Amino acid sequence: MAKKPPKAMTSDFKIQGPENGEIRLLGTLTAKINPGIWDFLPKISQGQTVNFNIEGLTGLDLNGASQLFWAIEAAKTKGAKVTWTQCPQELNPIWQLAQETLSRPLTSVKKSTPNLIEETGLVMNFLYHDFTAIFIFLGELITFGASLLRRPWTGRWGLILKITETAVVNSMPVTCLVAFLVGLILAFQSAMFMRMFGVEIFVADLVGIAMIRELGTLMTAIVLTGRTGSAFSAELGAMKTNQEIDAFLTMGLNPVRDLALPRTVAMTLATPLLTIIANLAGLIGGNLVMISLGFPVRVFWDELGQHINFSDIATGLFKAFVFGFTVAAIGCQRGLAAGSGPEAVGESTTRGVVTNIITIAFLDSLFAVLFYVLQW
Amino acid sequence: MSSNGNLMTRNPLVVNDLTVAYRRSPPLLNHVSFTVHPGEIIGILGPSGCGKSTLLRHLIGLEKPRCGRVFIFGQDLWANDGRDMDTIRLKFGMMYQSGALFGDLDLTENVSLPLKEFSDLPAGAIETAARLKLSLVGLSGFEHNMPSTLSGGMQKRAAIARALALDPRLIFLDEPSAGLDPITSSGLDKLIVTLARNLSVAFVVVTHELRSIMAMVDRAILLDKKAQGVIDHGTPAYLAEKSPNPATAAFFLRNTAEHNPPNAGTGAL
Repeated sequence: MAKKPPKAMTSDFKIQGPENGEIRLLGTLTAKINPGIWDFLPKISQGQTVNFNIEGLTGLDLNGASQLFWAIEAAKTKGAKVTWTQCPQELNPIWQLAQETLSRPLTSVKKSTPNLIEETGLVMNFLYHDFTAIFIFLGELITFGASLLRRPWTGRWGLILKITETAVVNSMPVTCLVAFLVGLILAFQSAMFMRMFGVEIFVADLVGIAMIRELGTLMTAIVLTGRTGSAFSAELGAMKTNQEIDAFLTMGLNPVRDLALPRTVAMTLATPLLTIIANLAGLIGGNLVMISLGFPVRVFWDELGQHINFSDIATGLFKAFVFGFTVAAIGCQRGLAAGSGPEAVGESTTRGVVTNIITIAFLDSLFAVLFYVLQW
Repeated sequence: MSSNGNLMTRNPLVVNDLTVAYRRSPPLLNHVSFTVHPGEIIGILGPSGCGKSTLLRHLIGLEKPRCGRVFIFGQDLWANDGRDMDTIRLKFGMMYQSGALFGDLDLTENVSLPLKEFSDLPAGAIETAARLKLSLVGLSGFEHNMPSTLSGGMQKRAAIARALALDPRLIFLDEPSAGLDPITSSGLDKLIVTLARNLSVAFVVVTHELRSIMAMVDRAILLDKKAQGVIDHGTPAYLAEKSPNPATAAFFLRNTAEHNPPNAGTGAL
């Protein structure tokens, strides 16, 4: 294996010895040393007498003095009887400074990494506090939401409209594209098998029911999580790290009422509308495949009209309503719960997206079972 | 020519007819020239918004000057279109106003990082060097603290320790005393003077703290927004007491009438 090239620039520093217990240090001792120059240290044996002769040093800086101190301590740790000579007069202030400073006992201890049991305890404790924080936040949000319902004129509707535009309306192109492609893929995949039984006509029902009951809503929620929920987490997280949230509180304003509620109301009201458009895009994708299979356009929509009923549309939109609320509420909660420091914004955004995706998947499964039991 | 070249190499910083401006903006400062000698502490002074920090960004190569040149130990920062910049940057340290410590590393790791990257020192020696630098700035006992657990002043001191990591002979400090209590600030001034005198480290300090200027700066240049350049230079004692320039006098609070409104200081609320 080729020898690793030295990182530092060339240096005139060299070590002679150990000869008869004497180690002579010559030249300028700085961070610019050749690799492996201190490799003799581990070979020092217990009881050995070692004298560091530093009279030949021509230069010394703080890194050099640190190295010298470390080498002396390393030799002492090996059990050697260590002495050292006076260093040249002009280098003495630095060497004295290093000795005085480094001789003080080290009071700081590096935190040890927790073992498996401690780690489990820490995770459980974290989850407990995390869940509690989410439920407290939801409680506050619902209370302020109820108060808004009682007195709708107190709402910040201008802000809500603006958030609706930036957070939901601007998400329309990407949501429609995803839904359109999902409808297209679903139709293609199912058409291959349906053709074997001569029932391609039912591709329309499959795409229609899947999009309207399930996939249109789910795709919209996932796109909104990635595009809007994460933006809420980052925006509020940045406000938290910049102490803007503290400023809000000290001015007597409530960040949940004034920041989270408008975002949540905007998302809750607009997500079902976005879902309707996404469903349409998915159905158009399915219709395109049907056209390619030789069916006229009208056949697809007639077939849908016969088999899609009100409960399919209602359950899809109800889920969209709930998902809209969830995406905004969790996004805002994660942002408001951000820590301090620049990494806190990224952390809150990641946690917002992960929590949202898990919650949406969990709620969707719950709704699937519930609607099955209720036969909706 | 050769003696001039030697001087250039020996001097940590030579600024030659620099025009300071952000891209597509009108110049903030014109014709800035000064030299920093080994072990000298130079203050860049001026009221807020006069371009002190922007000048500093040009001196450390974060901004390309519109014209003029900056030499660090004789090497032109922007020679070869800035391709030598990484090597030149190893020759100086920088402390940013906010500290700019890496949040996911503890203090020892923050200070050790340049040594791990650019030297062949054994791990134990690197840790000892980091400990020494942290002790020198009064952070003994905080070696394994994360930056987020420290006060602003402590973060600033840790940033100075990191600037010292490679033992550069030139260190730039952006507002080192801002936000610090008088005792810590005075300790920091003394540390800077000690390093300058004992290690011949040259310091370029951007500040408007009068007490720090008087305590540690050897020479200072005073910038002015209206004049778009250096309006005065000299020792702090000269600038504070003898300079005939009215703007300098106002900066050093000599002409109180210029700074205080007529009713100020009467005790009336």
